[in-house]
Amino acid sequence: MPDFLASNLDYLLWGNLAHGAPGGLLLSLLMSVAAGIVASALGLAGGTALVMGGPRLRSVLKTLVVLLRAIPVLMLIFWCYFLLPILFGIDIPGVLTVIAALAIINAAYLSQSVQSGIEAIGRGQWGAGLSLGLTRWQTLRHIVLPQALRIMLPSFINQWITLIKDTSLAYVVGVAEFTFVATQVNNREQVYPLQIFAFVGLGYLLVCGGLELLGRRWERRWRYGAA
Amino acid sequence: MKQTLALAIALLGAATPVLADRLDDIKKAGVLRVAAFDSNPPFGFLDAQTRQISGLDVDVAKAIATKLNVKLELVPTNPANRIPLLVAGKADIVAANFTVTDERRKQVDFSIPYFASGQQFIAYKGKLQKPEQLAGLRVGVDKGTTQEIYLREKYPATTVVAYDDTPLAFTALRNGNVQAISQDGSKLIALLANAPDKQKYEVAPFTLSREYQAIGLPKGETRLTKLVNETLHELEKSGEAVKIYDHWFGPTTKAPLPRDFKIGDQG
Repeated sequence: MPDFLASNLDYLLWGNLAHGAPGGLLLSLLMSVAAGIVASALGLAGGTALVMGGPRLRSVLKTLVVLLRAIPVLMLIFWCYFLLPILFGIDIPGVLTVIAALAIINAAYLSQSVQSGIEAIGRGQWGAGLSLGLTRWQTLRHIVLPQALRIMLPSFINQWITLIKDTSLAYVVGVAEFTFVATQVNNREQVYPLQIFAFVGLGYLLVCGGLELLGRRWERRWRYGAA
Repeated sequence: MKQTLALAIALLGAATPVLADRLDDIKKAGVLRVAAFDSNPPFGFLDAQTRQISGLDVDVAKAIATKLNVKLELVPTNPANRIPLLVAGKADIVAANFTVTDERRKQVDFSIPYFASGQQFIAYKGKLQKPEQLAGLRVGVDKGTTQEIYLREKYPATTVVAYDDTPLAFTALRNGNVQAISQDGSKLIALLANAPDKQKYEVAPFTLSREYQAIGLPKGETRLTKLVNETLHELEKSGEAVKIYDHWFGPTTKAPLPRDFKIGDQG
């Protein structure tokens, strides 16, 4: 490994962890996990509401989804960080701003996947559940969702991978994630941009590729396993 | 857990807009949040050994924090984020080679200047000797700097290309995207001194304008501004200002530059 990379490796991978400030790839992963969990939970709830909710709830949610999908993630992060304090006096730290912005945007996308996943299950399944005396919610919980989740899994993996890569947008508010610290290191070393950013690319590739492989294994296990 | 707590506090605090005096807020928090460069040696840069932001601006910020008797917290910034950070209250003051201009005074206040320099250029050796040669060239600058504004206004025949920070602009010069880059002379000299391939370039032998750098403060914080000014005057009187300067620009440094400006020279 070249010297300039070896001497900066710890900073690129976990930032100033020793001083209590995780950064680099570690911070990117922490933000991804936090935003991923919140986005998945919200997406699942939102998608379910889009199917099961009354007409008013559905139209409110649909408007929200349309709005959120129309905003570039970068803008949302920038607004939350710089404009919320000016407009409303709300002051949220950079890391939380990024997690929140990624969580709600990805929740919007996921709710659509969840909705179409549920709708992909044939009407006969609903009819079967209801004729057994189950309520709509019980049918959803025990019959429809277990099948629908399997259909949705690829969309979820897709969205999680997008989310991991989008954490790099945190640079705009000075959060010391992987891309940001790499820029700092590059600016100091000056003459190795190709090597440093190739390393960064490799970092994202390994993380996203790993998730992709994990996702495939889940898909296979679920397909053959009994529901 | 700590994060959840921080979120809860942030949400609870949301309802109360801050109108109190910033000086009191800083003392109450026990922390002075200073926006500093992380990529502009020797003003503010990531130290290779300590992995902390350090530099001339940081030393001045430390003196202010010491005077206030609070902890110093550095917020990394690039040139374009300096005003947003102040206006949004994400930083209490800016110590990032912040040039005083009338345009910026509309949005932020400034302390008395603690540094002075002029707009200069780096180009391949011998390629740029006088200002007239700027016509027709592509020149890299930092987004949102006075150099960008000055070139766009006074040199319409020059194509200005704006980058996030100076090292990135320098990379563009290396790759041939631009033929010169422009910044404060002091910053360029230091940048070149740190460049492994410095023998190929030079700082062009002319200066376009004299500029003064000061601490940026939120508008209307008169008590905080007064305290910062006092600290700066004291730094000069005690000789500490010279020590800080010599540590970064003195004869034994990588980028020696004679000190031709004293704090207090310029109101």
